[in-house]
Amino acid sequence: MVRGWKAVLAVAGLAVLGAIPSATLAQDNMQSDSMKKDDAMQDGMKHDAMKHDDMAPDKNAKALFTGTFHGKVHSTSGRATVYQGTDGKRILRLTHFKTSNGPDVHVVLVATRDAKDDANSLSGNTERIELGKLKGNEGDQNYELPENIDLGKFQTVSIYCERFNAIFGAAALAKF
Amino acid sequence: MNTNQRSWISRNKWIFAVIALPVLAVAWWEFRPEKLFINEKVSEAAPFAARGEAQPVYTGVLEGKAHPTSGRATIYQSPDGKNYLRLSDFATSNGPDVHVVLLKAVEKALGGVAVTGELDKVELGSLKGNQGDQNYDLPAATDLNKYQTVAIYCERFHVIFGTSQLEKF
Repeated sequence: MVRGWKAVLAVAGLAVLGAIPSATLAQDNMQSDSMKKDDAMQDGMKHDAMKHDDMAPDKNAKALFTGTFHGKVHSTSGRATVYQGTDGKRILRLTHFKTSNGPDVHVVLVATRDAKDDANSLSGNTERIELGKLKGNEGDQNYELPENIDLGKFQTVSIYCERFNAIFGAAALAKF
Repeated sequence: MNTNQRSWISRNKWIFAVIALPVLAVAWWEFRPEKLFINEKVSEAAPFAARGEAQPVYTGVLEGKAHPTSGRATIYQSPDGKNYLRLSDFATSNGPDVHVVLLKAVEKALGGVAVTGELDKVELGSLKGNQGDQNYDLPAATDLNKYQTVAIYCERFHVIFGTSQLEKF
């Protein structure tokens, strides 16, 4: 019996050991990929700025709402700000941002004032707007807002782990 | 009996192994325990490049103390390095000799409404109006790492109308 379990444990151990480096590699890849993309974006922006003058109106982009993050299930900090460009497009930007890493973590707008009615998880009938997967658990990042969202209604930015229905952290938006 | 069991398990150890693998794989995918130790850091550029304009560096929401007070207090930094405080959507009650001051967050006076004794403050000037958007220049030497609380302060009666805890923008 002992030998049998040893074999099982050995295989299990190998499987875990095998999984970790591959996951690490995958993440490293993701990281360098996204960094490349950002560089490209920045280059693109510089390019645009040099080529055209139509970057100028963007100077008038306005911060509409802002709030600071506080941790719920995991410690979370930083600032969430909604900007509006002159073209009317709105973008959520996270700055000084930090939360814990996790599986299947998303950025969502929740139709509550600071997700107060349900502290650590989202109840099924809470209206929410998906903004996409969390790009990174640290650092500055932007998320486009779908058009026609009423930000008077969706007043909370939530870092939400779909898999475990856990709110890592939330920020209540207030008029800037 | 015992020997029988042992031999049965050791004979079938590969079956256990084959079952254990996908179970472990699913468990790993579910919990991703390695993420506890691995950070994904990103650094996207601001979507709208604001060049040659004052940038917000600290901001906070105003809250009433002695009198209902609302709005936002934001400290902007101009490209030339000068800082100024801007109150927006601002409303408080009118009063005599009301000033805008910066206090330390640890200031004892913030525990109550009336101020007794000396107040360690950075004076920004008389309140220009009890409603509306307004700007106040900050003295060049102001240490914003220390003075992070905006207070609407009535000098005559030593009463704090409202405060705002500034946080990094």
